[in-house]
Amino acid sequence: MLLLWRTTSHRLNLFVFHFEIICLNKGKLNHRTMSRGVCISRTLRSWNCTMGYFGAHHYKWYHPPPPLQVGHKGLTVDLRSDTITKPTEGMKKAMMEALLGDDVYREDPTVTELERRMSELAGKEAALFVPSGTMGNLVSVLGHCEQRGSEALLGDQAHIFLYEQAGMAQLGGVQPHIIPTRADGTFDSQEIYDRMRDEDVHCPRSALVCIENTHNVCGGKVLPCHWIDEVGSVAHSLGLPLHMDGARLLNAVIASGISADRILQACDSASVCFSKGLGTPVGSVIVGTEEFIQKALRLRKVLGGGMRQAGMLAAAAIYSLDNMVNRLADDHRNAFVLAQAICDTESTNVTCVPEDVHTNIVIVNLRSGSISPEEFCARLALVSEEEAKTLGEEIVIKILPWTATSVRFVTHHDVLCDGIQATVAKLKYVIKEIDSQRK
Amino acid sequence: MYWSKRKKSSDVPQLMDVFESEHGQQGRRSHLLGDERPNEEGETSQPQHSSNIKAERGLTPKKKMKIEKDTPIIISEKPGLFSDDECPEESHNLQVQGLNITVGEVRTVSSELILSLDEPTVKEPSQEEMEEEEMDTKFLSGDKKKYVQKFRQFWFKIPEFQGWLAEGDSPYKAFCTVCNRDMRAGKSELQRHCKGAKHIKLMAKHQPLAPISLSEDITTEAGLPQSVTFVDLRSDTVTRPSRAMKNAMLEAAVGDDAFSEDPTVNSLEKKVADMLGKEAALFVPSGTMANLVCVLTHCWGRGSEVIVGDESYMYQKMQGGIAQVGSVHHRIIKNLPDGTFSLDELRSFFQDIDTICPTTTLVCIENTHNRMGGKALPLSWLDELSAICEELNLLLHADGARLINASVALGVPPSRLVARCHSVSLCLNKGLGAPMGSLVVGTQEFITRAAKIRKMLGGVLHQCGMIAAAGIYALDNIVSQLSADHNHARAIAHSVLEEHSSSVTVDMKAFQTNIGFLHCDNIRVDAKKLCQRLQMVTDSEEQEIEEKIIVMMLPITDTVVRFMTHHEVKKDHVKAVAKKLKYVIQEFDNMMFDHYKV
Repeated sequence: MLLLWRTTSHRLNLFVFHFEIICLNKGKLNHRTMSRGVCISRTLRSWNCTMGYFGAHHYKWYHPPPPLQVGHKGLTVDLRSDTITKPTEGMKKAMMEALLGDDVYREDPTVTELERRMSELAGKEAALFVPSGTMGNLVSVLGHCEQRGSEALLGDQAHIFLYEQAGMAQLGGVQPHIIPTRADGTFDSQEIYDRMRDEDVHCPRSALVCIENTHNVCGGKVLPCHWIDEVGSVAHSLGLPLHMDGARLLNAVIASGISADRILQACDSASVCFSKGLGTPVGSVIVGTEEFIQKALRLRKVLGGGMRQAGMLAAAAIYSLDNMVNRLADDHRNAFVLAQAICDTESTNVTCVPEDVHTNIVIVNLRSGSISPEEFCARLALVSEEEAKTLGEEIVIKILPWTATSVRFVTHHDVLCDGIQATVAKLKYVIKEIDSQRK
Repeated sequence: MYWSKRKKSSDVPQLMDVFESEHGQQGRRSHLLGDERPNEEGETSQPQHSSNIKAERGLTPKKKMKIEKDTPIIISEKPGLFSDDECPEESHNLQVQGLNITVGEVRTVSSELILSLDEPTVKEPSQEEMEEEEMDTKFLSGDKKKYVQKFRQFWFKIPEFQGWLAEGDSPYKAFCTVCNRDMRAGKSELQRHCKGAKHIKLMAKHQPLAPISLSEDITTEAGLPQSVTFVDLRSDTVTRPSRAMKNAMLEAAVGDDAFSEDPTVNSLEKKVADMLGKEAALFVPSGTMANLVCVLTHCWGRGSEVIVGDESYMYQKMQGGIAQVGSVHHRIIKNLPDGTFSLDELRSFFQDIDTICPTTTLVCIENTHNRMGGKALPLSWLDELSAICEELNLLLHADGARLINASVALGVPPSRLVARCHSVSLCLNKGLGAPMGSLVVGTQEFITRAAKIRKMLGGVLHQCGMIAAAGIYALDNIVSQLSADHNHARAIAHSVLEEHSSSVTVDMKAFQTNIGFLHCDNIRVDAKKLCQRLQMVTDSEEQEIEEKIIVMMLPITDTVVRFMTHHEVKKDHVKAVAKKLKYVIQEFDNMMFDHYKV
């Protein structure tokens, strides 16, 4: 009964939420709604953050305190994403000292060195440096789905499906075929059998299976190795290649203690991103067979990803492989500390399960009806007078609203222990404030 | 210069001092790839025995540390390559670049590098040397005459011996620095040794110990060439960032551009938008992407068509990306030799518009026109074209990969050239010499949509402030050097003209910017052959012009060779290229004559 009530209230909230956006947006329906959860583009979100803060009335319970009038002078902790990390001094030095050549002519020694190292690390034949993770995935999907009328099977919470503007459909004419994702980022591998298309004129051709490790939307979950193997064997038995979106693959390696080549054993290709937890400014690498990488090279060019003296970026990636990988464990520890602190408050409005935090992403659930994610984010980003007095410091925390009832914290290299302690202090204060208004 | 001799103990620190003091900063530059970071588990790849060798060689511990860091990619500094004040650090890299080295093996690159540089010059010992060799062999007492081979200096020139061979303790001994082993001095002996499994294994694992040496006497003793001048004219994209540009990059403030929070990127975008007199700009990784983004943003709906020149980069060199990924149809219009196209022909496309035709949305021009020889489009033609486009309700896009070159050549500000264009792509890594990056310029509304397309194509770079800083530096400092590039191209062309050759010709009138074409007669020489010949150094050539000059150019058709000057090409290089071209052209011109004379 309670569950039913909560679901209804959730639905209602969603409805109101949408309605509000549509009203305020004067009928411009360019935001995206998904079948599960709400996914609104970032601009709309941040915009709604401010609008929602002043104009929303459907959340009856929470009234934020007035912010400090004077400008913020204290600590800012940015936990929106691990992509915001800035290159360290050592990394910059490595970039400056890199040997350079023209990578479009495939003459850049540093890029070649990075590609060699990555192919070794991943246990694949070859590798290719691309400017971004999005392009890495796009190139990989298009490389596998060469024929017209192809279809790629992937989880419905996959980054490729949700956050890459459906590039595979838009540019490559590849239809994404989604499989419901479980809370741990996996899906039922038997579904692949069920969803495999046969040679029916009505159907597209199944051409690829994609998985994501660690799973971003599910909260940085590390996929179990045996499951990857299982999916791989199912896919291969049907003649489908398996691609892994390994944007945070090395987080998975560190969290699970299993080597990258073992994780990727069943995968035909993978993309690995360096600008996430590894702290490199720009760059991703895709790995696969020699033949696949040749195709990918052509695709990279047509998408405009061929960069000339890319050795500087590759040098940063090499540096991060040498120096930043083991450090990921610190991020994971910080994330766990954060989750544990939230759990320790025993709040019913703001909840978090520390056991679900595998890597550096913490998803914090907000009870629907108490505070909206946008309001929660806005609250963490402002400093009230009383709060500054109590905590003795002005702390601003930047995070992103995630689903309709959750927010996301991502720990990374630029947030050290101090930042985490400050975040914990502020969070405890804010949660107490919310709880006090809620009762 | 490569130093592969086992020196006496006192010499080594001295050499290292020379190296450290003269090239300390730059020398260490190349440690990067070989540098083993201590916190990676697993030991450094330096084999144990190597330090023994060094100890034997009498290195002080401090010096030892310096070399022990798996040094190998120290690449020789050729004295004549660049004068030190010009661009010293590039000369290290220069040789890596463009020599078709399998760069995957950077760790072992040094010996191969030398090898590939010297390949054309390695020669069998001459007759005199052979005679001298016989005289050197030792007559041992005994009944039978027994000849014992002495160590020969010219063995150092043999590629397979490079990187490990050194003189032994006695004149009749040779030494392998890799296997730490003495052996009898004999060519076949050495050949056998270097084919041995153990030696190959150690060579692969272990870097040649020899550090580089810059002192003259060592190089001559080792018999390696004094200097090679290497000029890469294949494209102006091959330029590497200079030291000052790197400093600018190092000091740049960065943020996450995915959240539009990178201050340097924002200031670059503003700078370029202001420079071109447009509202906004967007940073993208490459010129190809800049053009693709522009076309896809203009052709927002289905069934669109763009008009492009048949020799334009967008039609020829983008893999048909506009059609491949954007589903936009190309309609081609014939390019005239000055990079323009006939406006009457353009008008004729619109005589019968009905539902059969796709919707023509966009006209693309290229300024300067690459495949037409870097032609800057005439202003009057641009004005006429934009008037027609307005009349026909077409959008106009300028592929301005080398727009700044055009503005320098015509002497008008770049904003004038694109005044009536709806979008412009501007490349920073061509003549401007930044490592990468391009900009899309247009109205605010256009850029907002373009940002969405950029995200979809995967062109969002998170902390690209460093690259943007290079772009800002280039716009501030390198633009003024572009006219020199144009003069250099003309100077090279003039040297060809002076030969009055029938095999290789130039059209001086066609030289407007930094791109030049050499036309081959296709009888004595074709484009490929000319390029190959320019990359080689023959013995007679070396004797005659007393310099080793390697010039790289690009064949673009069977008979046309393209060269591009860029800011790394200095006056001395132009002279060297002229010298080489003249020699090579004479050689081709005299080919028939020489043949019949014999």
